Amino acid sequence: MDALAQSAADSAKVDAADLDAADVARVLAGDVRAFEGIVRRWQGPLINMAWRYCRDRGRAEELAQEAFLRAWRGLAGWRRDGRFSTWLFALATNVYRSDLKRFPTVHVPIEDVDEPAGPASQHSALAERSREESVRRAVLALAERYREPLVLFYFHEMDVSAAARTMRLPEGTVKARLGRGRALLRRRFPHLEETATEISNLNKRKEA
Amino acid sequence: MNEKLDNILASEPELVPSSGFLGSVMERVVEEAAAPPPIPFPWKRAIPGMIVAAGVFGWGGFEFVRYAIHDAPLVSLHKMPVPAHIPSQVDQVLWAAVACAVSLASWLLARRLAGRSGLI
Repeated sequence: MDALAQSAADSAKVDAADLDAADVARVLAGDVRAFEGIVRRWQGPLINMAWRYCRDRGRAEELAQEAFLRAWRGLAGWRRDGRFSTWLFALATNVYRSDLKRFPTVHVPIEDVDEPAGPASQHSALAERSREESVRRAVLALAERYREPLVLFYFHEMDVSAAARTMRLPEGTVKARLGRGRALLRRRFPHLEETATEISNLNKRKEA
Repeated sequence: MNEKLDNILASEPELVPSSGFLGSVMERVVEEAAAPPPIPFPWKRAIPGMIVAAGVFGWGGFEFVRYAIHDAPLVSLHKMPVPAHIPSQVDQVLWAAVACAVSLASWLLARRLAGRSGLI
C-alpha cells in the first residue's frame, strides 16, 4: 500500500514538473496567462512556507505574492537542469529571508518564549495547541542559521537534501545546524518529553 | 525527544490560500507585463561624456599632485603664515573659467541626451 502511495506521489511530482516546464515555456513565449497555472500549483506551498517564516497569515500571503512576482520576472533564469520547484523554493526563501531582515517579526529571545504549561492544564485541546504553538514560535526565536534549516526541514517533510537544495548549502552543514537548533529547543523545553507523551495519549483517547 | 519535536514541528496546520490570492498575483503580473520595458541606460552616448569627465578629473588630480610636490619643500613652519606661492589672479580666473566651461559642457551634454531619449 505504501509502495502504491509512494508511486502515486512520484507520478504526481513528475506530472507537476512537466506542467511547470510547459507553462514556463508558454510564459517565455509571451503568454502571460500561462503563469496562472504555476501560481495555482504552487500558491499553497509558498504561502505555507512563508507562514513558517513569519507566522502571520496576511504577511505570508504578501511574501508569497512577492515571491511569485520575482519568479515571473526571473523566469528566464531557471535552468532546466533542476526541478522548477527547487528553483522556486530557493527564490522564495531568498525573498522571505531578505524581507524578514528588513522588517523582522517580533524578536523574542528563546529564553523568553513561554515554556509549555505543566500537566495540570493539559486537559483541553486548546491548551495542547497552545503548547505546540509555543514550541513552533520558539523556532522563530532561534538565530537565523538554526531557524532556517529547521523551518525548511519540516516544510520539506523532513527531507534534509531538499532543505539543503532550497538553502543552496551542503547537506552536512544543514544537518549540523539542524542538530544544533534541536539541541537549543531541547534545552528550552525540558518538559517536552512528558508533554508529547500526554498529547499522544490524548489523541488516542480522542480516536477511541 | 527528537521524535516528539518532529511530531510537533511537522504537524503544522495547513493554510489554504485566500480566494483572492491567485487573482491578486495575476493582476500584478499582467500589470507588469503591460508596463513599458525600462529605458536602457544610453551607454553609447554616455561613454564619451564619461571619458571626458574622467580625463578632466584625472588631469585635475595630476595637476594637484604635481603642484603639491612642487610646493612641498617651500612650505615650512616659519613660512606657514605667509604662503610661499600664491597663484596669480589670472591663474585663478583661468581655473574658474575652465570649471565653468566643464560644467556648461556637462549640462549641455545631459540636456542633449535627455532630449533625444524623449525625457524632456
